[in-house]
Amino acid sequence: MSSLKKLLSLVSAAALTVSALAVNVSALEAYDPYSYDRWGDAVSSQAGYTAEKYIDGEMIGCGNFYEPADLYISHDNLMYIADRGNNRIVITDLDFNFKKEMTEFTYNGETLTLKRPTGVFVDQYTGNIYICDTENSRVLKCDTDGVVDRIFGKPETELYDQNLTYNPSKVLVDKAGNVYVVVRSITSGAVMFNSEGEFLGFYGANRVEATAEVIANAFWNLISTDAQREHSQKQTPIGFTNFDIDEDGFIYTVTDSQEMTTDLVKKLNPRGDNILDSVGAADMTFGDISPAYYSMYAKNSSLNDIDIGPNGELNILDFQHGRVFQYDKECWLLFIMGGSGNQLGLFNSAAAIESHDDKIYVLDSLKNNITIFKRTVFGEIVTEASNLYNDGLYEESLEPWRNVLKYDGNYRRAYIGIGNALYNRYEYREAMDYFEISISRGRYNRAYEGYRDLWLKANYMKCIVVIVILIILIIVYKRFRKKGKIVYPWEKKRKGGV
Amino acid sequence: MLDLTKGQFVKHVIFHPFEGFEDLRWKKQGSLGIAFGIVCLLFIQQIAYSRLYGFQYYSDYDKLFNIVPYIFKSFILFGTWVVANWAMCTLFDGEGSMKNIFINSAYALVPYITGYLVGTVMSHFLIRDEYVFIQAVEVIGLCWSFVLFISGIKAVHQFSFGKTIALILLTLVAMLAILFLLVLLLTLFQQVIIFILSIYTELSYRLRV
Repeated sequence: MSSLKKLLSLVSAAALTVSALAVNVSALEAYDPYSYDRWGDAVSSQAGYTAEKYIDGEMIGCGNFYEPADLYISHDNLMYIADRGNNRIVITDLDFNFKKEMTEFTYNGETLTLKRPTGVFVDQYTGNIYICDTENSRVLKCDTDGVVDRIFGKPETELYDQNLTYNPSKVLVDKAGNVYVVVRSITSGAVMFNSEGEFLGFYGANRVEATAEVIANAFWNLISTDAQREHSQKQTPIGFTNFDIDEDGFIYTVTDSQEMTTDLVKKLNPRGDNILDSVGAADMTFGDISPAYYSMYAKNSSLNDIDIGPNGELNILDFQHGRVFQYDKECWLLFIMGGSGNQLGLFNSAAAIESHDDKIYVLDSLKNNITIFKRTVFGEIVTEASNLYNDGLYEESLEPWRNVLKYDGNYRRAYIGIGNALYNRYEYREAMDYFEISISRGRYNRAYEGYRDLWLKANYMKCIVVIVILIILIIVYKRFRKKGKIVYPWEKKRKGGV
Repeated sequence: MLDLTKGQFVKHVIFHPFEGFEDLRWKKQGSLGIAFGIVCLLFIQQIAYSRLYGFQYYSDYDKLFNIVPYIFKSFILFGTWVVANWAMCTLFDGEGSMKNIFINSAYALVPYITGYLVGTVMSHFLIRDEYVFIQAVEVIGLCWSFVLFISGIKAVHQFSFGKTIALILLTLVAMLAILFLLVLLLTLFQQVIIFILSIYTELSYRLRV
């Protein structure tokens, strides 16, 4: 059995090498793939994903989309498209065979229609479909036949300011059946209902960014009277734009803001706390690190959708530049793909992103189509290596990381991966070299500590001998100096002169 | 007594912070060449400190190297100090000549330079947990230099302690003024050069047509 396995793995490894040689990075992207180095400078990189094709409504056979707004791939491998302009939900399978179109719904004998739906979600435990019927100010919960079970309307409670409009744009459901709704006019987090449709509160508000103005206002608030406070400007955070839920029930949010940098991407636990701290990424810059300049105007990334992939990787969509940023679950940047433009792989108005296996689907609401990115050979290797690495299997990840470097010598993460693998094998000297290339000084420090310890243990006697000899030499030298047997030339000159 | 060479006097001054400079003054054994060498060492030490430090410690952006800040931090700053101190001491009836101020100030820098150079070397052998040893060496060098500095200025001008401190503070103010004027001068010259260059460009275009 084990020999068979060995043979199989050998054959597959051979096949991989051959295919790696044969593929030769043939895909010509419409953009230059890049990545970021230690300093946050852009460096060219290999494409981890390549734009394979696009699919529009005609090709599916349901008539063209018009301003589609959301995309969702359900647990049973069906794709749900919220076709906003045509007021319908289109359902296809992953090969884009048309399954169904939902336009009319029945609720207690009434017929309901949609008005500009912008969000769709399928509960993987019950199979219910949740639709954000935005301009009708309601979220519909229905089954696959379009029979509506419950409507989540504007919460009639004091907690919800009744002057605010209720325009739900995105929806998701957790394991317990609680429904979370992103409402664009609300900045205090997602509106949260229980499965019975009762309003529970708000979930996961962003923090206010500590700008100079905010700090100054906090100071004035300390010394002002209540009446003054009443009339002063309130500091409100920006509400998040979109979210996704992973297998473990953690909710990830993205916030679409060009001005702010606080809380643009968050991973929330059920209490609503950001737990990206745990991987040290709470204050990390997601998206492009430095802004792009268009005729003197700085354009930062504005992130408008997030999707959690099968291995916990974060696919984040940047509406401003039409780019997709893929991070692994430790928030290390894996790949950047896309750009703005009309060619395949570029976007005019990227609206939604979903992923399935090795494919990423991006919906464009101006091009009215879905672009499909497929992982390249390089992408496969990086993903394999990074998954092994994140599972703590440093030594197993050594070979994949070395393969990554064959493709892309700029890939900083590979150097760190190799360095860590070597460190775990006590090969400190080599690990130091890799950490030095990747400029990770903390790791270098640890490797150096190990190297020095080993060196001292091995050369303990030599060190002692050298020190003893040095001390003897110094004593002898001092003796001779005192007796005047060692005289330097400049001292002779002085003696003769005076 | 004290038949020392100029080189040996440097050592004498450094290890006798309180009377060393007085001896140097009476024996007139200060060397301008050695002093200039020390300032050059200061320049090298500045570069070594930010560039040759152990990899596990520093975290500067090292893709670019610009030598101007290092020239400023050593030669220009030191030169300004000497000029400003000399200019200020005339107001206080100090006895120091510019040459002696230069020599005394430079000699006083030796422990500082040594401390930081030794620290830089040590940083290649120690890990981050042991940074405190490097820090100790550097701080000792700095404090030693500080004491020598005050003692040197006091000796060269034959001042009391309080007067020396006042002079040092005033010198710092004067340095700021000098640097400010220097920057102003540089910008003005830049304007003049740009002006001349644009006239030249204009004329060369006209003449070609």
